Amino acid sequence: MIQISSTFWVVIFGYFILILGFGSYFAKYNRTTEDFFFSGRRFSWWLISMSIVATGVGSHSFLKYSAKAYQHGFSSTMTYMNDWFFVPFFLFGWLPIIYYTKIRSIPNYFERRFNPGVRILATIAILGYMIGYIAIGFLTMGKTLEPILGWNLYMIIMVVAVISGIYITFGGQTAVIFTDLAQGFILLFSGIFIFILGIQYVGGFGSFWNSLTPEFKLPLAHFNQPSNFNFVGIFWQDGVAGSVGFLFMNQGLIMRFLAAKSVHDGRKSVVFNVLFLLPISTICVSNAGWIGRSISNLMPNQWDAGIKLDHVFTYVASLITTSEVVFAFLIAAVAAALMSTVDTLINAVAAVVVNDVYKPIVKNREDKHYLKIAMIVSAGATVLGAASTVFFNNFPTLYEAHGFFHSTMTPPLVVAIFLGIFWKRYTAKAAIATFLGGAFFMWLGGKYPGIFIAPFDHGIAMNPEHPYTYIRALYNMFVCAGVGVVVTFITTSKTEKEIEGLTVWTIEKAREYFKGGKPNDEEGEKVEVTWKQIEGDDPNVSFSKSDMEKMKAEVGDLVYLSDKRKWLGGLKSIHSVFGKPHEEDGLVYLTSDQFKQGHFIEGKLLEAEKEM
Amino acid sequence: MLDFSRTWLPFLYLYGVGGIIFILGMVLILRSESLNLKRRYHRIWLFILFFGFNWYVVIHSTVSLAALGYESASAVIVLLFLFVMVFLYLVVTTLNRSKSA
Repeated sequence: MIQISSTFWVVIFGYFILILGFGSYFAKYNRTTEDFFFSGRRFSWWLISMSIVATGVGSHSFLKYSAKAYQHGFSSTMTYMNDWFFVPFFLFGWLPIIYYTKIRSIPNYFERRFNPGVRILATIAILGYMIGYIAIGFLTMGKTLEPILGWNLYMIIMVVAVISGIYITFGGQTAVIFTDLAQGFILLFSGIFIFILGIQYVGGFGSFWNSLTPEFKLPLAHFNQPSNFNFVGIFWQDGVAGSVGFLFMNQGLIMRFLAAKSVHDGRKSVVFNVLFLLPISTICVSNAGWIGRSISNLMPNQWDAGIKLDHVFTYVASLITTSEVVFAFLIAAVAAALMSTVDTLINAVAAVVVNDVYKPIVKNREDKHYLKIAMIVSAGATVLGAASTVFFNNFPTLYEAHGFFHSTMTPPLVVAIFLGIFWKRYTAKAAIATFLGGAFFMWLGGKYPGIFIAPFDHGIAMNPEHPYTYIRALYNMFVCAGVGVVVTFITTSKTEKEIEGLTVWTIEKAREYFKGGKPNDEEGEKVEVTWKQIEGDDPNVSFSKSDMEKMKAEVGDLVYLSDKRKWLGGLKSIHSVFGKPHEEDGLVYLTSDQFKQGHFIEGKLLEAEKEM
Repeated sequence: MLDFSRTWLPFLYLYGVGGIIFILGMVLILRSESLNLKRRYHRIWLFILFFGFNWYVVIHSTVSLAALGYESASAVIVLLFLFVMVFLYLVVTTLNRSKSA
């Protein structure tokens, strides 16, 4: 157990109180369930992008990558560096569909694309996926703190679950986004800081680089060895099933993109995240393992050779930090990262349960009622996630638990979403067959891996205790897709009219649906305006003729109006429709309700831009 | 001496199979006109999508070469990549300007 004093606890609690306070402050922006779940579709790309860092890094965790980095070297970065192949599908397929058709959850998409029966299956699958993800988050947190506290693992998990539950229950999506924004910066800073301290500890970069073998420094693992960490298995489990799962069916992430002010900003946030933040993040989460290996090679007397793999991060952090305050800060940042993942998912579970389960049963109640239910569900999801940690604790490492989880849970949903978006012919019966038939063949594969999964194994040896942890993803996707394709060809599909806007082939129709008319794509300028409050409840906003001309806007076009201060990232903003123009240049007429909704401040300039 | 399965086979598999997936995605979004090259911003997006693919090819190839002891070769690849991408970006933006003029 690592020795700590009361200073450590002061820093840890100070950090958490600060983060909780920060998140709770933004709870005031929740006026409706729309705000609670989607933050009123108002944020800039950079804010969404940074907040995704905390969600992504938290979910993949400092712990499990440090463990794999210590064992296998730079190839621990593989899982962060194989997402680009699916980016075209996401940016110009899934993202515009969910945004423009105003879909509120993945099951909601399944109902509109297929029928209510498919929606039920999708709801069950998505809830199972998210509760599993929450459980892995809690388990990781428990293992981070275990060597420090020396408490029982499940006791730690319970304490962490209570803290996580409190602020997500009261904060909602805006709180999550802003908390994650702060934590995104802190995480990157902490990860880089650990790397710098580690490099100093081992005597500089040259010493670090030369202490590692060429095999350790290769960025991709051995093609098919060993069975618990090989390139081809991880490619199919993480690069394909995991990447599509994370981008396409992680309701938490989808809600984050729906909080972007436009599809264009959503796209920018994805690209910035995948191109720049993911490579930085992967170094942040893995480097403790590389440093650990370097220390064990250069200074074997200072390294505990019997260290548990999932404790490598905590151990390295305690070795290289000379100050207890710094060590406490690093541990707090990591624990907070895990909370970021968990809070996003808890909020997402609440969204699915309220929108896809509760609202269809209990209709036409006041919004306050649904908001209350969302909070209760958030608390329930926290408890269920904490209880599910028992199952995942059976795996040798968190990495393998996560790998097995992705390989098994994601394929039916991934295949159904993918075929639904990109193949017009794909039918409702085929979607049901993908879930049920796919699940049957997956079970068969799990039961007799030597017969069913072995033909897909690319030469990976079967470990009888955990057979084909990663490569089973390829078999699972193959059987789900196979069943879906076969059933599609023997059943009748919906007409094109019925699925307008719901496939990549009819995105223009989705844009029309979003606007409620033909989009106006003429490019105009942004204009700066002050505002004037008017009486009445007109849902539109009015600009001068000349300002509308600059924006190339017509009456009925969509407008985004925000506080001009860019650093607010759209926190104070509204979406509306251009109403009849007036003659006062540089002025926008707003009703008191629009003013409140935008959280605008008197005397501050606004910026307006035509959306479409 | 490290064998091929440890050094370059994973790299070739990653960008071979991954490349097929990427190209399939590009074909689908172009054919469906979800990525509509008549729009100025979408032409920039096309450039970004190909840039991203090459960005990762360069990262993986340079780190592999450096790990195997060919540090100068990896530096040359990085410089070459930057040069080609800046050139292509200038071509795209110039074409965009001339089309919107």
